[in-house]
Amino acid sequence: MMPRATIVEARGVSRVFPMSAGPVNALRNVSLSIGTADYVAITGPSGCGKSTLLHLIGCVDTPTSGAIVFENRNVASLSEAERSRIRLMRIGFVFQRFFLLPMLTARENIELPQAEARVAAAARRARCDALLEYVGLADRADHLPSQLSGGEMQRVAIARALANQPALLVADEPTGELDEETGAHVADLFDRVHADGMAILVVTHNPVLASRASRRLTMKSGSLTS
Amino acid sequence: MTSAWLAWRTTTRYRARSALAMIGVAVISALLFDMLLLSHGLVDSFADLLEHAGYDVRVLSTEGVPLLRAPIPQAAELAVAVGQLPEVESVARVRFERAVVTTQGRPDVDVALLGTTATGTHAAWTLLKGAELPNDPSLERCPLIVAQRLATAWALVPGSTVSIRATLPGRQSALPAVGCRVVGTADFLFASADEYDVATTMQGLREVKGGAADDEADLVLVASRPQAGPAAAVRAIAKLRPDLRVYSNEDVVAQFNRNGFAYFRQVSVVLSSMTVVFAFLLVGTLLTVSTNQRLGEIAALRALGIGRPRIASMLLYESALLVGGGGVLALPLGGMLAFGLDRILRQMPGVPERLHFFVFAPGALVLHLALLAATAIIAASYPIWLTARLPIAPTLRHEVVG
Amino acid sequence: MTARLVRFAFVFLVGAATITGVVRAAAAATRSSAEPVPILISRQLSTRAHVAVGDVVTLATDPTGTTARTFRVAAIYEPTPDPMRFTAERLEARVHLHDLVELTADAAVPASADAVDTINVRLIDPADAGQFASDLTARMPGLTVRPTSRPPEGDPFAVLDRFHLAIAIVTVVGSTAFLLALMVIRAEERRETIGALRLLGISRRSLLIEVAIEGVLIAAAGAVFGALVAFGAERIVNRVFQTRYDTTLVFVRVTASIALRSIAIAVPLGIVAGVGASWTLLRRDILTLVRR
Repeated sequence: MMPRATIVEARGVSRVFPMSAGPVNALRNVSLSIGTADYVAITGPSGCGKSTLLHLIGCVDTPTSGAIVFENRNVASLSEAERSRIRLMRIGFVFQRFFLLPMLTARENIELPQAEARVAAAARRARCDALLEYVGLADRADHLPSQLSGGEMQRVAIARALANQPALLVADEPTGELDEETGAHVADLFDRVHADGMAILVVTHNPVLASRASRRLTMKSGSLTS
Repeated sequence: MTSAWLAWRTTTRYRARSALAMIGVAVISALLFDMLLLSHGLVDSFADLLEHAGYDVRVLSTEGVPLLRAPIPQAAELAVAVGQLPEVESVARVRFERAVVTTQGRPDVDVALLGTTATGTHAAWTLLKGAELPNDPSLERCPLIVAQRLATAWALVPGSTVSIRATLPGRQSALPAVGCRVVGTADFLFASADEYDVATTMQGLREVKGGAADDEADLVLVASRPQAGPAAAVRAIAKLRPDLRVYSNEDVVAQFNRNGFAYFRQVSVVLSSMTVVFAFLLVGTLLTVSTNQRLGEIAALRALGIGRPRIASMLLYESALLVGGGGVLALPLGGMLAFGLDRILRQMPGVPERLHFFVFAPGALVLHLALLAATAIIAASYPIWLTARLPIAPTLRHEVVG
Repeated sequence: MTARLVRFAFVFLVGAATITGVVRAAAAATRSSAEPVPILISRQLSTRAHVAVGDVVTLATDPTGTTARTFRVAAIYEPTPDPMRFTAERLEARVHLHDLVELTADAAVPASADAVDTINVRLIDPADAGQFASDLTARMPGLTVRPTSRPPEGDPFAVLDRFHLAIAIVTVVGSTAFLLALMVIRAEERRETIGALRLLGISRRSLLIEVAIEGVLIAAAGAVFGALVAFGAERIVNRVFQTRYDTTLVFVRVTASIALRSIAIAVPLGIVAGVGASWTLLRRDILTLVRR
């Protein structure tokens, strides 16, 4: 069993969005720590700040106050290029709307982050084949997203997120666009990824997916409750 | 998996819009290419015509339009004096008149009659059939070189005879027609499509004008010695005869560039500028709209760690593909368009048939390619700026909510 | 330099001498011989020679000044702009005909005192110009008599008109291709919306009508904006070239007719492009429209 090390920590983070009608406090003094092999699910009503917290932890956004420390580095002190590097190599993102590039095949979508990480072509292909096998889509490698079902697209997206062997998989409503049965398959896949040692942070309304997590947190009005 | 490859895949994914954009770029770039050709075409073509006859200096009595210009008196004496200058290799006198040519069974035809001492390789025509005008005027009283178009229309061949009568402007004339023999048919360098040219010797011209002794010339043509060059010849002749106007071919072309060609140069500048701006606006708009359509995708790529430089270079390559693809198509299209526009402009009255407004110049091609490259870069700059400052989280949120 | 080539550029300058005016024999008879004769000079000459109204100038026909006479500048005029000579610097002056004849006549040639380059004639009915020219030529052979209106086949401006029309057609073709590309993108952006509306039961016809109305509004607004841009460009181009060539010649004129013609071409093009691009979407299966 791997010793637990902290991958990312949110220390008293707040996020305020300035709006024309007045500032919106999306997060209020939230603290959270995610370590190796953690499987954390955050649930809560719409607009409670779940996705905002996920974006901060995923280094997609920066807090208004507080700190996000990723592998002992304060994210706010990093340049955008450095944060981009972290997202590429250390974090894998899975989106509700998949966001596969429509002009690339399933294999090419998975290859893209590896190409950005300057992995050699042969190594990329081998990794793609392995990941497609892993998510059960080896026979759909050369299909375009328009030729895949919603569940298949999300599995490709998960494979893409795992392409550079990140430390943390971050998923924002991964089953939001899927039916119950397909959503269950995705939940199974997440279980498998976790069982293989990946830390996962998932934001979800899906109780089945949330129930698979080892730690379930609830957000309400920008604050975390257990 | 380079940015160029990604751009290629994006372009081929959206085939309809890419093809339409390339067609648009091709058409506008073809117009740009033609305007760049026009910017020097007429001048280059005119210079070519001037050089063709082999004379590089022209002597006139005064400045101004030929129709209002006084002829050079004692032209024969002038020709001898100029011919003796060390800078000069050969001299020819030229006189222009209007005439009417008649032949059995055909209506009279107005012609431009050219009397000259120039002949052979130094003539203002290219001989197609028959022989040149004789060097010794005593050999033939009134030899003629007629334009091939007239020869074809009247079935004239070397040896045919026609009657020719000078019409002298501003004077009452009852000159009798003179029988002249066609010695050759030719393509005249400065002939326009709406008139026929006929050349004869100075002796022949005198015959046509009723035999009156006339030692005037409208123009004296001079070929400078290669070692001296036209500039030296101009200086020498101007010193010999300060009362006359002496121009090298370069001076004539420069004057033509300043005056006669000014309109086309301005049209070229205005239209070239407008087409470049037009192309930039159109490609820029297309890329911006296309990028706006893919903002969610781009935000997701940024979230995945795909850096700004990669996305920027992808957009730049997309722009280059659209502009480059259109630019390649623009060259043959521009050629065809230039042919058509040239045909229209050459319908102007008095334009020599051999003069062209659109002449290919390597410099124009290089400038065209450079302008297209600049257009591709500048057109991509706004979409690149958009994606560079794209807020990832709000965009992702907006995509979900939207 | 050959006559033909220069003639193509200056063919209409026959008779375009700077002399206009009426011989005022009575006035000349009463004028004091010591008093300088009045002269009008062009604005350009006034600027170049730093001469103002009231100044006395000397004119001569040869550089040695042997036939020089003094004139008083009575007024400065703006030369009528000539599109065939817009690059020429209009350094010119106008005097009474008899004063010019006195200045230029050659004492050795008596006829030179009664010689002019051109006689301009204004007819009661301008339509008689061609007949008048023929009659006069028949009565006085050797004269060159020419109506001032050009026949279409001899008009260089008619050729330039065709040239500009060809360029306009090319520009419209290029813009149409771009317009179609933009409309295709716009239609694609609304793919899901159109699919949802079709699922709700809205017919293709209704959607096309909506697109067409939208197209009319956008195309009309765009065409009017284009016309405004053209008016603006007209001012800029005229200002630039009038300054460059020191002339009052109008180089670009966007008339109401031209603006209306442009709008009449642009609006249908915009509508057709919008409807055409939308039709490619509407004829697709509904499910392919809503599927992501």
